[in-house]
Amino acid sequence: MPPAPRVLVVEDEAHLAAGIKFNLEVEGYEVEVVDDGTRALGRLVSPPPPAEVFDLVVLDVMLPGVDGFALAARMREAGNFTPVLMLTAKSLPEDVVYGLEQGADDYLAKPFELSVLLARIKGLLRRREWARGGQDAMGTVRVGGAEVDFRSFEVRVGGDVHRLTLLETMLLKHLVQNAGRVVSKGEILERVWNLSPETETRAVDNFVVRLRRYLEPNPRFPKHLHTVRGAGYRLEL
Amino acid sequence: MGVSLIVMAVALTVGWQILGAPDELRAAREVSTARWVVYFLGSLLFLLLIAGLVSIVILLVREVRLNERQSNFISAVTHELKTPVASLKLYLDTLQLRDLPESRREDFYRTMRQDLDRLNATINNVLNAAMYTERPVVDPHPLDLGRLVRRGIELTRTRHQLPPAAIRFHGPEAVMVRGDAGALETAVLNLLDNAVKYSKEQVEVEVELSADGDGHVHLRVRDHGIGMSRHQLRFVFSRFYRIGPEVRRSRPGTGLGLFIVRSVIKSHGGTVSADSPGPERGSTFTVTLPGLIETPAEHAPEAVADATRA
Repeated sequence: MPPAPRVLVVEDEAHLAAGIKFNLEVEGYEVEVVDDGTRALGRLVSPPPPAEVFDLVVLDVMLPGVDGFALAARMREAGNFTPVLMLTAKSLPEDVVYGLEQGADDYLAKPFELSVLLARIKGLLRRREWARGGQDAMGTVRVGGAEVDFRSFEVRVGGDVHRLTLLETMLLKHLVQNAGRVVSKGEILERVWNLSPETETRAVDNFVVRLRRYLEPNPRFPKHLHTVRGAGYRLEL
Repeated sequence: MGVSLIVMAVALTVGWQILGAPDELRAAREVSTARWVVYFLGSLLFLLLIAGLVSIVILLVREVRLNERQSNFISAVTHELKTPVASLKLYLDTLQLRDLPESRREDFYRTMRQDLDRLNATINNVLNAAMYTERPVVDPHPLDLGRLVRRGIELTRTRHQLPPAAIRFHGPEAVMVRGDAGALETAVLNLLDNAVKYSKEQVEVEVELSADGDGHVHLRVRDHGIGMSRHQLRFVFSRFYRIGPEVRRSRPGTGLGLFIVRSVIKSHGGTVSADSPGPERGSTFTVTLPGLIETPAEHAPEAVADATRA
């Protein structure tokens, strides 16, 4: 039997934290609860290098000390790419998008259905496996001079190694699987972000800009990851 | 920004006077008084203009601040309403989904009851903020503030599960005032609740009630909690004011509690003030109300009944 996935729940509302912990433990996860942002920072970011001791983080946005948005951003900056499921009472599309841009991988608005929470957590853990390879194992792919390793979520260019977040990996994988074809923004939002294709956001554009920084020798004149005006993006391997 | 505008305006006035002056001096002898009058009027108009500008800037700054607080308030209320709802839903779902032993179920029911209380308190807070205005109380009754405060302390202890020593009361048995018992109880409970909420690990609150010689009643609530800075003291009674941005909230609340306290006390012809030696050094809130000097015995039972009804 594989070891139980370890989940860190960062939530300052004691009742919610206890309820989530109880349910996750019943489902067979190993759960730790932290009730403020500063302490969460200690578990996820410092001491460097950040030990990725958790398989998943359930992260509330409104927290004493350091808020959830900042926490997700700090995690990613420090090189901790553990999948993050963000929980919050704010549910406007801007908030969702902002959370995702800061480094969250999925998003759930309070109040939520317990079954949805459990499914999202399972989904995130599975998506990570899927992005890593899973059944349609992809292993590594070359994009121009860069080597993308879907198992370790890394892009290697020359001597440099860039680490990718789950969402970055998912986006890149989707583009690689559809290499040569134009992929629309709506399709990406739906397949990678789990958002409605009509969502008004620059998130995809921002992610593409980031991917170009890893993949392109000169990100301003992309040779592999092209923008197709009014249609979407196309990746040429 | 406001300050720099004022400085600029003053500099402009002075500069204009200096520029105008040599001309003025040279021609001084021939100049008719009419010209002086024109000069004087010009300056006056200019000053008026500046005054207008300054007041617009002040109003604008106020508006921006209120706007900021308002959006913080929406954020706070959203959180205060959605958190207990989310918790209730989570526990209901859990009860429905899982087969639980009786003791665990009892635990969950207790948690859910607390969530309901919190939800109810938030709703009352929002409604009270709209209901209690600074207008004088319409139909004031004589009532015993001492009894009301002691009851409030009792309720606060139960609500926060505190030992008796956590909130201590000093004061005479009965202190009569005239007012709306429900409103005053809300104000007293808000003050006590705040004192507990902004305490550190160990809750230590002193409540002091006294009547002075000139017919005033004083209620003092002192905590040894996180205290306030000078800047924060200036705004504590403002509507929607909360310490710090909502996204890093550390204590529950909507930013209405002390606003309600001020409205209620003002509507009773009293005053309320906040004081703190500084952050981390505790706060003291002092309420002063006009007392009822001749304690009419025949009114006392009525007052008690009122207090219980609230």
